[in-house]
Amino acid sequence: MESWREARCVVAKVVGGNTGSKVRKKLALFFLIGWILLIIGDRVDELRVYQGAQIAMYTIALASIVLLTGYSGQVSLGNGAMMAVGGYAAALTLNNLQTPIWSAFMMAILVAALFGAFLGLAAARLSGPYLAGTTLALAVGLPAIANQFSFLGGEPGLLFDVGFPPERFGEDFTQYKWFFWIATFIALIALFVTSNILQSRFGRTWRAIRGNSLAAELSGINASQLKVLAFSVSSGLAGLAGAVLAMTISLVAPGAYTLALSFALVTGAVLAGISSLPGVVLGGFILVAIPEIADALASSLGSEDKLNSYLPGLIVSVLLILSVIYTPNGPGENLRKHFHKKSAH
Amino acid sequence: MIRKTHGKRTWFAAAVLAAGSLLATSLPAHAETGVTSNSIKLGITLPLTGFASPGYSKIGNAMDAYFKYVNDNGGVYGRKITLVQKDDQYSPQLSIAKTNELILKDKVFALVGPLGTANFTAVHKSVGLPRRKVPALFLNTGFSGFANKKKFPTSFTILPSYAMEAKIVSQFLKENFAGKKLGLVYQNDEFGIDALGAFKDAGVKFDVSIPYTSGTQSAATAQTWVSQLASGGAQVVVFFGVTSATAPLLAVAAAAKYAPQWILGSVGSDPLTLQVLGVPVAVLNGALTPAGNPSPNDLTDEYVKQFQEINDKYNKAAFDDYVLQGMNLGLMTVQALRAAGPRLTRRGLIKAMENKGSTFASVAYSPLGYSRTSNVGHTGYYMAVMGPTGDRKPYGGKVTLYTTDSGKGPVVKSDFKRPAMPAKGLPNNS
Amino acid sequence: MQKALETLLIGLSTGSIYALMSLALVLVWRSTRVINFAQAGQAMFSTYIGFEIATRSQIFWLGLLFAIVAGALLGAGVDYFFMRVLFKHANSGPALVVAPVIATLGLLGLIRSIVGLTWGGEFKSLTAPASKNGFTFGEVTIPFSPLDSLTIITVAVILIILALLFQRTNLGLALRASAYSPEIAQLAGIRTARTRTIGWAIAGGVGGVAGMLVTSYNFLTPYSLDLLLVFGFIAAVIGGLESMVGAVIGALVLGIGLTIILNYVGTSLVFIGGFSVLLLVLLIKPDGIMARGKVRRG
Repeated sequence: MESWREARCVVAKVVGGNTGSKVRKKLALFFLIGWILLIIGDRVDELRVYQGAQIAMYTIALASIVLLTGYSGQVSLGNGAMMAVGGYAAALTLNNLQTPIWSAFMMAILVAALFGAFLGLAAARLSGPYLAGTTLALAVGLPAIANQFSFLGGEPGLLFDVGFPPERFGEDFTQYKWFFWIATFIALIALFVTSNILQSRFGRTWRAIRGNSLAAELSGINASQLKVLAFSVSSGLAGLAGAVLAMTISLVAPGAYTLALSFALVTGAVLAGISSLPGVVLGGFILVAIPEIADALASSLGSEDKLNSYLPGLIVSVLLILSVIYTPNGPGENLRKHFHKKSAH
Repeated sequence: MIRKTHGKRTWFAAAVLAAGSLLATSLPAHAETGVTSNSIKLGITLPLTGFASPGYSKIGNAMDAYFKYVNDNGGVYGRKITLVQKDDQYSPQLSIAKTNELILKDKVFALVGPLGTANFTAVHKSVGLPRRKVPALFLNTGFSGFANKKKFPTSFTILPSYAMEAKIVSQFLKENFAGKKLGLVYQNDEFGIDALGAFKDAGVKFDVSIPYTSGTQSAATAQTWVSQLASGGAQVVVFFGVTSATAPLLAVAAAAKYAPQWILGSVGSDPLTLQVLGVPVAVLNGALTPAGNPSPNDLTDEYVKQFQEINDKYNKAAFDDYVLQGMNLGLMTVQALRAAGPRLTRRGLIKAMENKGSTFASVAYSPLGYSRTSNVGHTGYYMAVMGPTGDRKPYGGKVTLYTTDSGKGPVVKSDFKRPAMPAKGLPNNS
Repeated sequence: MQKALETLLIGLSTGSIYALMSLALVLVWRSTRVINFAQAGQAMFSTYIGFEIATRSQIFWLGLLFAIVAGALLGAGVDYFFMRVLFKHANSGPALVVAPVIATLGLLGLIRSIVGLTWGGEFKSLTAPASKNGFTFGEVTIPFSPLDSLTIITVAVILIILALLFQRTNLGLALRASAYSPEIAQLAGIRTARTRTIGWAIAGGVGGVAGMLVTSYNFLTPYSLDLLLVFGFIAAVIGGLESMVGAVIGALVLGIGLTIILNYVGTSLVFIGGFSVLLLVLLIKPDGIMARGKVRRG
């Protein structure tokens, strides 16, 4: 009962019934960021705009990992599977129920959150490698289900068409720019809400559980309930990211939600700071930029097939290893240590 | 706030554009994407690595070799052709990403020979080729759904569709294997289902029918296929799938001493690749396959002979069906570029294909169907039988060409004669 | 009835290969408290080496030997040069939970890229040491082949060797002691760091055998062993990461379970079947089948 009341409080805060100046400042900041992004979107060429949409998608997905692993300490290798759930839910809703696009995205969040709750219930007693193993199995197994049931479209997948941009934007307003606008809008809202959740009592409680679940339990926290909640919310976010991904390729198919995606997400989260929400933006940039850089490097070294296929992987792996060894908690941690040292003098 | 200024800006931009285009049409050659005064950039997505790559990965290099040959002999109206190859590992998602790169980053003039049914379907919708007016020539897939000019206004097929192929195989089955127990193994996406529908329409009933999901082909799954076929008593087995699925099927069947009459669909039947993948050559002896081209070893054929010479000088690969296919794609592409004239535009290329495409020289025996109302290339096959080394010869000794359409039209024997190979393999059409 | 027997036999053969992988993972987990995803990379590298030797000499077993040696060396190298550096630096903060997982993932990617750049991604075919044709009894051919039986025998031999090593030798005793309690083992005079490296070497060698066996069924590419890793991991978790017997049992359970699903349900549901088997086991016993009451948690 207690936690229901708390939940209502947080929801109220999050939806904006709050007068706290901190939240208002944050809201203003997000508006400003949104405005700047829109202007940038007008100035850059179509490829960058498309990549911008991808970055937005990754920030949402990475936020889900920050919440689940960074805050509540549960290691999941299966975020790709949750993204798939969200993507398919959105496509099925849009194609079969003829609803406006926004409800398709809402369904993605809800269905994925529900899945996440179930998974969380099953996984609540698991820890460390057992949880990692279970989520790994899910990441490998879930997308393949699409091949079994024909309404899920099989290997070629289902269409996910959010439609053309409104005509009043003119002929120059390309499809990809429209994706960018939608993805950025959704990402900003999602990050705003997530930020509020993480700074609320829930966020603090999750961190307490992550630190020492025995001590947390002793101070009255129902650890398993909150772990399930973390799973659910994080899955909802992942599902949203999955729907945004589907939008950018106009398609949901098993091949878009591979194990490699789950691994890439965890990689991005670690590179950017696993418990830092602002870091997800950096993480998104990194995930989109690295293949670009690696491609450019590979073509400057010669366009041999082998190079093109394996050089990006080499660069990512080396980067990952170095960052895990030297900045395991993300670059933010080292910067903070640096400033601490300076101020201590 | 944003919207109002945006609206004003859009009007202004539109006005400038209108004025500009009035001027532009009166100027001589204007810059088209991917075309400069001395170069043309083309793009292709295909599986260079991954489970579908055996065989198909050679096509791009073969095309490129042919382009290099043409470049060394003056190019197309003085422009040298560059081909940008992107590996999509047969995954539709990667095809989308790579095609985006080709169009937005590499800024190619046109796509040529993109491979894969599910791949091109995804790309066409997601990248929005018609809206961008990007031509896609000679799709390397036989899905009959692409033969719809309204839905695919900038695309042109080249291979006969799987529906056509299935109809011709059905005719052949009726003429030669009436009364036998039939088995079918097919890839259960648009690729195989295309053929399935046509078999059904032609009234062919399969006693054992086995779908497989693309990507799951392996020795283990092939075991299950063979046990089903064997226990079903299939005497003739038709196969519609990719080469990396044909291989385990044939290998496992040989090991289990199950030897029906094989009819291998044109896609997955290249003997050289099958051998590399571990199929003992003896198994291929007697296998039938619908073929569109002469055998790649037939040096009496003027196309094969010329392509082999070019291959020896410009390419490092063993000459097989895929290299033949790739070079032919190159030949067709160059003819299309020439037909579009020295003032090269995307629109001009499409018009050239519609108006003159049906007269192009191609190694395949059947006529080309390009016109203002049809984007369909070749329309027929002949049945070939593989010998003890896997090499194929026409069934019955000489080429009996069947042509048909992807719909309910009949299958007819055709007398069509191919145009001659241009001198030295260098087109001079206009 | 025949189908059930076939399913059982093939499940055993498949499961026995997973057993090698899960054994290697448990070995490393017990000594280092790390799930070594790079195990797949090590196995891949060893298999490429083994493939080269086997193809040149036309002797599978020679290739296998080289694969074992390469795997052992690489395993020891990874522990000595990589893991120790990792533990020195990443020892605090929320990433502690995740750092080793990510690090070994990174290592997997690194090894894969190096292998890809060296050998290329084309399909490579390894000549199997035994025929893949099913055994024939008169008219009937079952899908269980001499290669399958050879696989089971090979794995069994290795398991026996390892069991003897662990139970009857001083090295084995040292390995078990270091894994159970490094501090006490050190007090008893065991050089735990060196022992741990030996454990990694054994795991690497075992992984090489798994890679060679799997490749004699299918083709070799820089990605062909990924599935082996996933199933090996699931098998290890099913068995409970704390016991090597559990790893083997878990693998056999998984192998048979997956083959049942493959033969009776359908190919697309195999993976989610693996997930279900795993979830089922963990719901009943969250620490795996062989967990005995209060087990030391990492």
